[in-house]
Amino acid sequence: MQTMTLTINGTEVTAEVDERTLLLEFIRDVAGYTGTHNGCLEARCGCCAVEVDGDIVKSCNVLALQVAGRSVTTVEGLAPQRVAPLEHITTQSLAGVYRPLDALGAQDDDLHPLQAAFHKCHALQCGFCTPGMLMVLKDYLEDNPEPTRDEVRKAIGGNICRCTGYQHIVDAAMEAAENMRPVAAPAADG
Amino acid sequence: MKPFSFHSPRGLGEAVDLLERHGPGAQVIAGGQTLLLAMKERLARPSALVSLAEVADLRGWRYTDSGALEIGAATTYAALAEAELTGVPLRGWHTEIAAVAGDLADRPVRTMGTIGGALCAADPRFDMVTLVVALDAELDTVGAGGGRTIRAAEFFDPVGGTVLRPGEILTTVRFRPQDGFSGVAFEKFRYRVFDAALVSAVCALRLGADGAVADARVTVGAVHPAPVLATTAADRLVGGTPTAVDTVEIGLVAADEVLPAEQATTSVRRYQRELIGVLVGRAIARSHERAHTTTAGS
Ligand SMILES: Cc1cc2nc3c(=O)[nH]c(=O)nc-3n(C[C@H](O)[C@H](O)[C@H](O)COP(=O)(O)OP(=O)(O)OC[C@H]3O[C@@H](n4cnc5c(N)ncnc54)[C@H](O)[C@@H]3O)c2cc1C
Ligand code: FES
Ligand code: FES
Repeated sequence: MQTMTLTINGTEVTAEVDERTLLLEFIRDVAGYTGTHNGCLEARCGCCAVEVDGDIVKSCNVLALQVAGRSVTTVEGLAPQRVAPLEHITTQSLAGVYRPLDALGAQDDDLHPLQAAFHKCHALQCGFCTPGMLMVLKDYLEDNPEPTRDEVRKAIGGNICRCTGYQHIVDAAMEAAENMRPVAAPAADG
Repeated sequence: MKPFSFHSPRGLGEAVDLLERHGPGAQVIAGGQTLLLAMKERLARPSALVSLAEVADLRGWRYTDSGALEIGAATTYAALAEAELTGVPLRGWHTEIAAVAGDLADRPVRTMGTIGGALCAADPRFDMVTLVVALDAELDTVGAGGGRTIRAAEFFDPVGGTVLRPGEILTTVRFRPQDGFSGVAFEKFRYRVFDAALVSAVCALRLGADGAVADARVTVGAVHPAPVLATTAADRLVGGTPTAVDTVEIGLVAADEVLPAEQATTSVRRYQRELIGVLVGRAIARSHERAHTTTAGS
């Protein structure tokens, strides 16, 4: 057993763990962030994708000790990062759907542009693959804000979705890319 | 997984000591992308893991005074793929190394996976295994008994695996300076983007002052337990000019050499045989084109 610390979504979590503990297990079982899913445990499906110091990894294929001391962002940490316009969602529907965000101290309309686009474009059915899709696409779109549809498909090559057929996921990524593109800064002295 | 102890040395010397102290059950973990899959299935059962994550000397790359490119064994694919954005961009045909790193596995795997990990895992379907043999890279290692330099073609055992001794660490992958080749092209075929290659092929050419091919290496991977140099095919290229060479025909020569028809008895093998011809042909054509552009431009 070894004692280690991870900063998960801004909160430090310290625990004594078995050396065999996977990052995925630390996130879910030790820290309690169950948004990160275990779909295959063999680096195939991408449901477990999270960011470590801003870089995307499959948390089922990394030992927690390999990244001890570093900062992890899970899907729960996505919404508070940026405010997205949400005109297409009525206040009524929000109340039921986005309760978990309240629990994390976020505002109703605090969805990340990708989450908002997934909602708008119906990019999920059962939702099991969604946390991984969102994290991989966030990582990708921050690197390449103007992708083609083919590039988006390639970026999620390591993510498996058994429901949607991917079409709407690509739609959502293209929509989100537009909202995530950095807005040209206004001239300094007008 | 079987229980193990986990160690994070800060330097190479400490890593070597730890491996020696923990004996034959100790194993290096770089990115863990191959090792952890094997441990989950208990195909690998290390009693101690020595992580290279904190050994800074093994990451990144540099150009030596003679122009050779030295890449640290624990450099990730993600870092290599973004080499052009760094302070030490790769030059000329060295950019093909970055291109290969950026077009394998998937984004999350590339964040963790390292070039050295792929070479030490020595799976013939891994792209870097084929590439280092194709480019005649040198591999530096260090162990309790000291260091040595091994040519890539001798690093891989023809029946599979590597010639690394227990406790030995791969530290550096060294590629020839720019003038070592004029043009390099890597080709592979896989069913889906994140699948392992069914066949990979590389052509590396050096043109003489007259514009004819002075030196050629044709390498085929993923077919046998270690990459195979197709020397007959390569010899056919020498002395020719980039435009006059019949790439299709030489592709077929390579297929006969690497996987003769009488050995291609299953459907997968027959398919691989066809792929060798096509991919070698493409690699030759593309490396010729590049060699020509480079020479014309200089
Ligand atoms: C989903 C998935 C898809 C993939 N797709 C591709 C693909 O399309 N193409 C491709 O080429 N590869 C592919 N790979 C394989 C990938 O290239 C390797 O998993 C990765 O490069 C291994 O590097 P690592 O640092 O993770 O090695 P590790 O898993 O840490 O180590 C692998 C082995 O090498 C040893 N080792 C590692 N570094 C050293 C060293 N410096 N000195 C001595 N021994 C060492 C370890 O002890 C272990 O035995 C894929 C992998 C996954 C999981
Ligand atoms: S659970 Fe990690 S990739 Fe499937
Ligand atoms: S929405 Fe069900 S797996 Fe993707």
